[in-house]
Amino acid sequence: MSDNLYIITVLLAMALVTFALRALPFLAAQWLGKHPWVARLGRFLPLAIMTLLLLHAVHGAAGEHAAGPWPELAAVAVVVLLQLKSRNPLLSILAGTGLYVLIRNFALI
Amino acid sequence: MIRPEQPEASRLSILALTAPVAMGYVPLGSVFGFLFVQAGAEWWLAVLASLCVYAGAAQFMMIPMLAAGLPVGAIALATLIVNLRHVFYGLSLLERMPRQRLLRWYLIFALTDETYSLLTSLPKTVSHRQMAGIALLNQGWWLLGTLLGALIGASAKVPLVGLDFALAALFAVLTVEQWRARRDAFPIWVALLAYGIAQWLAPPHALLIAIVLSILVGLWRKPESAKLSGEAKP
Repeated sequence: MSDNLYIITVLLAMALVTFALRALPFLAAQWLGKHPWVARLGRFLPLAIMTLLLLHAVHGAAGEHAAGPWPELAAVAVVVLLQLKSRNPLLSILAGTGLYVLIRNFALI
Repeated sequence: MIRPEQPEASRLSILALTAPVAMGYVPLGSVFGFLFVQAGAEWWLAVLASLCVYAGAAQFMMIPMLAAGLPVGAIALATLIVNLRHVFYGLSLLERMPRQRLLRWYLIFALTDETYSLLTSLPKTVSHRQMAGIALLNQGWWLLGTLLGALIGASAKVPLVGLDFALAALFAVLTVEQWRARRDAFPIWVALLAYGIAQWLAPPHALLIAIVLSILVGLWRKPESAKLSGEAKP
């Protein structure tokens, strides 16, 4: 992996593909226009995708140890409850992450 | 989450808003920088990757592929598959993006999972400059992490595991806020079911498959008219 030119070529190709994917809906916007599907998805997708990203992150974290997903579930429960009550994102995230780090480093895992 | 009445306060809250992303991006970015350099590449190439590719999962994926010397086309194809979900992110941001070209194209370029999550949860009062500021700060955290990992990763030891759980916590917070905005739990149930099916079908591509399944349900489902009429257009 010492060939810098090869690496740079790969990086540029990856950058191009990634940017094209992110830009596609904006370039297609004039064709999509005010299509009702787009409005429907705009309302439905953010919550669905957020839930999926959460599930995926929790699934990934639970895969790093052999104790089952209970540390992740406990930490997410703390975050969700705190956020519902306090509406303070930083507090919720710090408390949940703090609990998770404590469990992972000093508890049974 | 943001109160943009006073410029001073809003600059602070943009920093605060990206703080959880920083807690995920700095450690994760440094792991990327560390692994990339360990695989035999020079440190500035790791920084270049985070500067121009800027896609976490794809950057991790390319390390073994680069080390194996795979053809450029194969790595590009793998990137396409890993990042395919980003195609759908723009759909919910079409009307909120700035017209101003530089801001617009930078925001599109920088539309990672985390930045997308933050941008879709912002109130409508947030300005385009603030949106770009959030995206720029997020990439700054990722670059900082990459640089740290590439330069001193070899000698530094991370004393605690699990700090990158801040990203999962961020997604949990944003899920709560998205739910609060509409009080409709249906997308959550669809997502849970879709993710279960996707994990059963093909675990390596679970996220992408689950997003496609969710989109199919979202297209099929007619929104209730009561909720439609109560909604203000931006």
